[in-house]
Amino acid sequence: MKKLSFLLAATIAAGVGTAQAETFKWAAQTDPQTMDPHAVNSAPVLGFLNNVYEGLVRRGKDMTIEPALAESWEPLGGDGWRFNLRRDVTFHDGAAFTAEDVLFSYERASSEAADTASWFAPVSEVTVVDDFTIDFMTTAPNPIFPDSIANFMIMDRGWAEANGVELPAKDAENFATLNANGTATFRLAERQPGLMTVLEPFEGWWGEVEHNITRAEFTPVQNSATAVAALLSGEVDMINPVPVQDAGRVAERDGVGVITGIEARVIMFGFAHQADTIKYADDAGQPNPFRDVRVRQAVAHAINVDAILQTIMRGAAEPASQLVSPAMRGYTPALAERPAYDPDAARALLAEAGYPDGFSFGLKCPNDRYLNDESVCQAAVSMLAQIGLRAELDAMPVRTYWPELREDNFDMYLLGWSPGTFDAEHPVRFLAATPDEEKRLGSWNFGDFSNPRVDELLPMIQSEIDDAARQAMLDEVAQILQDEQAYVPLYVQPLIWGVRDGVELTQRPDNFFILRWVTINE
Amino acid sequence: MLAFIIRRVLQSVVVLLVVGLVAFSLFRFVGDPVDNLLGQERTIEDIDRVRSELGLDQPFPVQYFRFLQGVAQGNFGVSFRQGRPVADILAERAPATLELAAVSALFAIVLGITLGVYTAIRRDGWLSNFIMTSSLIGVSLPTFLIGILLIYVFAVELGWLPSFGRGETVRIGWWTTGLLTESGLKAIILPAITLGLYQMTLIMRLVRAEMLEVLRSDYVKFARARGLNQRSVYFRHALKNTLVPVITITGLQLGSIIAFAIITETVFQWPGVGLLFINSIQFVDIPVMASYLMLISVMFVVINLIVDLLYFAIDPRLSASRGGGH
Amino acid sequence: MEAIARALDSDLAYRFRRSPVAMVAGLVVVLLIGSAVFAPFITAQNPFDPGSLNLMNGFSKPMEPNQFTGETFVLGTDDQGRDVFATILYGMRISLFVGFSAVIFAMVLGVTLGLISGYVGGRTDTIIMRIADIQLTFPAILVALLIFGVAKGITPPDRRDEVAIWVLIIAIGLSEWVQFARVVRGATLVEKGKEYVQAARLIGRSPVAIMVQHILPNTLSPVLVIATISLALAIIAEATLSFLGVGAPPTQPSLGTLIRIGQEFLFSGEWWILFFPAMTLLALALSVNLLGDWLRDALNPKLR
Repeated sequence: MKKLSFLLAATIAAGVGTAQAETFKWAAQTDPQTMDPHAVNSAPVLGFLNNVYEGLVRRGKDMTIEPALAESWEPLGGDGWRFNLRRDVTFHDGAAFTAEDVLFSYERASSEAADTASWFAPVSEVTVVDDFTIDFMTTAPNPIFPDSIANFMIMDRGWAEANGVELPAKDAENFATLNANGTATFRLAERQPGLMTVLEPFEGWWGEVEHNITRAEFTPVQNSATAVAALLSGEVDMINPVPVQDAGRVAERDGVGVITGIEARVIMFGFAHQADTIKYADDAGQPNPFRDVRVRQAVAHAINVDAILQTIMRGAAEPASQLVSPAMRGYTPALAERPAYDPDAARALLAEAGYPDGFSFGLKCPNDRYLNDESVCQAAVSMLAQIGLRAELDAMPVRTYWPELREDNFDMYLLGWSPGTFDAEHPVRFLAATPDEEKRLGSWNFGDFSNPRVDELLPMIQSEIDDAARQAMLDEVAQILQDEQAYVPLYVQPLIWGVRDGVELTQRPDNFFILRWVTINE
Repeated sequence: MLAFIIRRVLQSVVVLLVVGLVAFSLFRFVGDPVDNLLGQERTIEDIDRVRSELGLDQPFPVQYFRFLQGVAQGNFGVSFRQGRPVADILAERAPATLELAAVSALFAIVLGITLGVYTAIRRDGWLSNFIMTSSLIGVSLPTFLIGILLIYVFAVELGWLPSFGRGETVRIGWWTTGLLTESGLKAIILPAITLGLYQMTLIMRLVRAEMLEVLRSDYVKFARARGLNQRSVYFRHALKNTLVPVITITGLQLGSIIAFAIITETVFQWPGVGLLFINSIQFVDIPVMASYLMLISVMFVVINLIVDLLYFAIDPRLSASRGGGH
Repeated sequence: MEAIARALDSDLAYRFRRSPVAMVAGLVVVLLIGSAVFAPFITAQNPFDPGSLNLMNGFSKPMEPNQFTGETFVLGTDDQGRDVFATILYGMRISLFVGFSAVIFAMVLGVTLGLISGYVGGRTDTIIMRIADIQLTFPAILVALLIFGVAKGITPPDRRDEVAIWVLIIAIGLSEWVQFARVVRGATLVEKGKEYVQAARLIGRSPVAIMVQHILPNTLSPVLVIATISLALAIIAEATLSFLGVGAPPTQPSLGTLIRIGQEFLFSGEWWILFFPAMTLLALALSVNLLGDWLRDALNPKLR
């Protein structure tokens, strides 16, 4: 029966498809909201546009930095980086690529109107040396600068000027919102926002072609169950993501399979470190117990991460002990153990801190941001209840979640963090540094964790060129964060893609889908 | 008559203005659009800057007034998320919703009237009872569940019909239609059933109830007594008399079909204005939400007006007063 | 009046006994409501108490011992290790509470406005009916989303999750009052012209007294029918709102929230998490609908 129905599905799919076999169709939850690579700094946009635009450098299959539009680069003493550009590169419209385009793109991407401006905060000056050499000068030594601009995409100056898109449009439509002219493997053939986006191979691409796609159609499918249905019925060749719970079934099914990987995102609980009182539930108004490190440690010991991974995450995720996953640069291998699940120890710590009978408080949680976020929080509530901590769960969509956290409306909360630079320094800067608006530090440190030594180490890490010395400082920060239990890291979120048999592709840990690595074997 | 129309149109304008005001007073509670517009590396300063760029730091009456100013000039604003004029986006999405609504309304009316007449004529037949009872199953389950079950059976297990989207569309001027391609026709079946099922049941029950009443009226009894044949009694007289309330209710339902398309479109990923609206809630895209509500309001007002006019035309005694379904 | 009511009652009772469908439906409704009310005495687990749950019990199949804990659950467990049977009973309490409260709210509001609109007429009538138009314009979903937001905005932070249920009640109630108002207004318009009302007016009875004592009783049967059908609608509307994420909180799930959770596991093979709550909802709504249907026919003198 199943086989029969599958045959039927296949014939219908074949009957529907008018194009050749190499048409590749894929679906993901979010539509890239713009085709402008500098207007929005969000993963769906940057991930999609990586197929159309290119940067000076790019990330390979294993996330390492490799040459793209720059053939090579070298540090200029301690104050900057020189990029030697690739020759004979043309944009999709035929225009030649030169250092002028890089300078223009820098000006565009670092302008007030661009959302990507923060990438260039350390840059003091950019100088064109000759047509194929360009220098990026920085205010201080910056060892990871090339890594941090992997998503800085280059636009043609002539095209931008001809179409009046010298600046990204923030609150109006412009030509670059719907059209694209990059240098990458694919060019934008059709763009219907929210409905379908079609890419076609760019014949004049400089690189060696690995894919055999003649046409690629992207459709946003928001409801993940609908997406799974579309994959199972053969309407699409690939979906991202497959809900964790459906991965097993999709894997078993004939004709389709799943590709599972570890994403860069670490899921963790955070606390109100500075608040004087509990804000929610029956103990609202009482002194805030989370200021006591023993209480935070009790929470860490009370949560049975293995059970969560085994049931809710179906064995698809790895436990986390730090704010970054082991795959990231600067991870501390010596601190790979997370606090053991030990309710007795947790109760003892609570008693020691003066809460033998526990207390009640509010736990905030998003319900549409991370994989099974709400279920994980629910499970945590029942685990915390076992040691006498009565958490009142308030789960909400992200559109209200971030404002709520910004207004300090929480006692404890769930947070996921994916380091944009794939480096351990990133979460220290955003989650562990004492919030400082002026210096752009701690902007996601909602609980106001503050440690003078961490604040002291951060700038030193940022400008340290020597790898060993840098790692030693990162290790020290990781140790402090673990001792202080600043956060309770839970697990590293999995990446689960569903793929039709016969399609080969590469899953990159940043969840970017790179079309040039796709081959279809019929 | 003309005075009545003018009065109603004026009232309608007031209704629209009130809808808009209520909507704008509530938008800030839906959430904050700023986080969706800025990346991970945003600062509090960026947030404040974007808020003021979008005019979100203004009190809601001011935001509303600005929106109205725009609308008066035919400008519905620019989507926060897509950065494109809302009017363009709505125009792109409207054909999908209108086609879905039309097909499901057609399905509801044709099947509803047929089954309604049948169950009224064979009032106590077992098939009638079966139809009456089983039709209730369709309205005793939430729409989203019916949609998901249909997808599961017909798309995933049987593989007969597509699980999402509109299939291939053909462009005729600015209108895109899915009704001219095979894949488009296949794609509309499940969503149309999902959306029309509730209305179908409603119409069927209404037709049956009205038929039963008319059949018992003296007027039909006379017709029968005069020796007219059954068929003529049923269709010429009884059905004709039931059609007025049926048209009224169907007309009113047409608006709610479009409103409730929201859920069907979400389940089937149907690229219409309902899905757009749900997305705009998710991203707190205020210009899109506001325009969508305005559009739906205009539609309701127009439908109400037409229904009133029909009443007026059919029975002038009723004039402006309307008695509802029964 | 009372005599008429009593006669109607006994007549209804007689007709009820004559209709097998109505009797079965009635029995199912009584059974379901009863098991919801007495849930704590029927099940051992209280699924709303997080401390009593064991995550390792999660995804147990119906009637099969769990692979980790060895415990057996008649209808299986959900992702949190909650007994599906217990959760259905407790969830039904919330669904029924929301349903009944929403219908009562809609009925009181709708009947009052309908009476006033029909009896007073003129400008008042126009205003009320235009408000009804506005109400119809706003899909229930949107009303719920907006009220949800407002309620979150104006309640003190520590009381917010209690608000969710009341938001549902108000949102669903608001989307259904128009029906009541229209029917009552129509009936009022008809009754207003009748001689007995004219007479009551002449002897100087107050409008309120006329509305309550003379007109209201005559609108009762359609109101009862609408109320019954609205109850089914309200229970389903609650489920729909849960699907869109504005339902009962996941730690205290209603039937609708259970279905929303369960549909996530439809493709993964844990069919019982969706199936049993969905069947319960179907049984409840279908029975209520059948009762409403029967009531409509039974109360319609023209159909005898």
